[in-house]
Amino acid sequence: MDKNTAVLTLKNLNKTYDNTTAVDSVSLDVVKGELLCLLGPSGCGKTTTLRMVAGFVKPTSGSVLIQGSDVTNQAPYRRDTGMVFQSYALFPHMTVAQNIAFGLQNIGFAAKAQTERVHEMLQLVELEHLSKRFPAELSGGQQQRVALARALAMNPAVLLLDEPFSNLDAQLRVRLREDLRALLKRIRITTLFVTHDQEEALMFADRVVVMRSGRVEQVGSPAEIYETPATRFVAEFIGWCSLFEGVVDGQGVFTTGKSIRLPLDHKPGPATVIVRPEYVKPAEALGSGPVFEARVTSNTYYGALCRLRLDVSGQEVLMEAHYPYGHGPSIGDRIEIRIDPKGARRLPAH
Amino acid sequence: MQNDITDKVMATLGVFVRATVYVMLILPAVIVVIASLTQGDSLSFPPKGFSTQWYSNAFASTPFMSALWTSTKLAVTATVIVLSVGSAAAFAIARYRFIGSSLFQSIALSPLIVPVVVLGLGLLQFLSWMGFSQSYLGLFVGHLIIMLPYVVRTMVTGLLLLDRTLEQAAMNLRAPPFRVFCRITLPLLVPSLITAGVFAFVTSFGNVTLSSFLASSGTVTLPVQIFTYVEYSYDPIVAAVSTIVIAVTAVVILVIERAVGVDKLF
Repeated sequence: MDKNTAVLTLKNLNKTYDNTTAVDSVSLDVVKGELLCLLGPSGCGKTTTLRMVAGFVKPTSGSVLIQGSDVTNQAPYRRDTGMVFQSYALFPHMTVAQNIAFGLQNIGFAAKAQTERVHEMLQLVELEHLSKRFPAELSGGQQQRVALARALAMNPAVLLLDEPFSNLDAQLRVRLREDLRALLKRIRITTLFVTHDQEEALMFADRVVVMRSGRVEQVGSPAEIYETPATRFVAEFIGWCSLFEGVVDGQGVFTTGKSIRLPLDHKPGPATVIVRPEYVKPAEALGSGPVFEARVTSNTYYGALCRLRLDVSGQEVLMEAHYPYGHGPSIGDRIEIRIDPKGARRLPAH
Repeated sequence: MQNDITDKVMATLGVFVRATVYVMLILPAVIVVIASLTQGDSLSFPPKGFSTQWYSNAFASTPFMSALWTSTKLAVTATVIVLSVGSAAAFAIARYRFIGSSLFQSIALSPLIVPVVVLGLGLLQFLSWMGFSQSYLGLFVGHLIIMLPYVVRTMVTGLLLLDRTLEQAAMNLRAPPFRVFCRITLPLLVPSLITAGVFAFVTSFGNVTLSSFLASSGTVTLPVQIFTYVEYSYDPIVAAVSTIVIAVTAVVILVIERAVGVDKLF
């Protein structure tokens, strides 16, 4: 990555509280216009990292650079960041327009320029008709858009989003996610956002940083993270997968002690292999690939597809399949499945 | 069915109890107001005839009017001072961890627990030892002390309930700390400040015990004046003065209610 285009750089960022390490040597570059997501379970240090960028948390060591200048010791109100808080943090005693104008006043916009900018922002988030309302009179989705407009009005170098969708109901969340992504891409703003929702990270981000116990586990595009996880943690945290521990022999065949045999063109030796459930199918649905006999241990209905837990001679295999209405297998049924060898990924040895 | 009957009995009883409480709260004030309008020259209920002569007498009475002035001046200035001192203390308690912070809070709240008589006696001795006895300053300081816990309690609660991410959001929008305080923190604390102010004012304005220990001839407050007056005289002028006090209080509450809404206060 070209260092010169990095809008936000984290260098060896650390944060320790008393004896616990919240963030452990995190280094990152976020380039102009990129949507970068910090993903991880709660307590993994993603929010602390975001707050260190905004300046609300002081790093124990390491540095934060915004557009090339070191802001590590700068107060939050001197940093060129715009934050959308998880709770939106709209000022309850100000109208929508006043909320958006607040920041503009602080950076010395004249009254007329303020009005124009507020109007422009309200147009951007399609809330012109609500400019005189108070936050308490808005729905959750509208509040989120006001918070976004308020941050964007300042034209910050970096936009920070803290779990921006967690307070919205499921249907709205999916739609707003698509809308917001399109908007951020259109205005080409550099964005760092935090979530614990892997689906959100995959659909929203250009690049995902998976964090665990304060450390970066893997950085990559959503497809890289999903298809070629670097560690067992990433494989299990992002989506569903079967995990096989076994050996690759000289002929390029991977075997576990429990009768899983898959062709795997890798160098011989012990291996951990993951298979995503969409690469496992009922035998009749997949033309080729090795056939295994499996016993159904659970079958969960998700509408468009079913998620099954299968027992293949003591080895757990997860499968996602579509069954015609009324034809899904029941617990205890014996079925034949095929595993598509193309879907088998060997985890890098550590 | 059994439950229905029990429910109905309980509901009726509840209405009865509530009505009794309200009547008991309001009736004394109503009786005082009515009694003040008597034509006779002793305090009685029902009043004999109707006149407003006791009001003209009250306004003409130097002891009562100067006491009313003393009380008002004392309560207003002490409220202003105690709001600033108490809010500052509340900020320290609610926002910072320091050694002895809970001791500090306990001391600030202690005048609520210590009987006012004890406090009055102690202050009297302390102030005379300091050379401030029988002075307006001594009375003023005594009032500050009994007002302080109401302000500290109300403001600590208000500060703890204030969402601090709002302040962070303001900071993120390039507002330096003082601006955050003026534009975000302070406006959001206005309801708490008004509540604290009302509590403090009423505490000072209605206090008899402490004032009677600390008052001197020049600094007699209205409650003390009324109290000493009824000891040797029983004419309706006290009822008229009390009615004036009730009217003033009602107007103040009404204005606040119009301005911010009483439901937001408590």
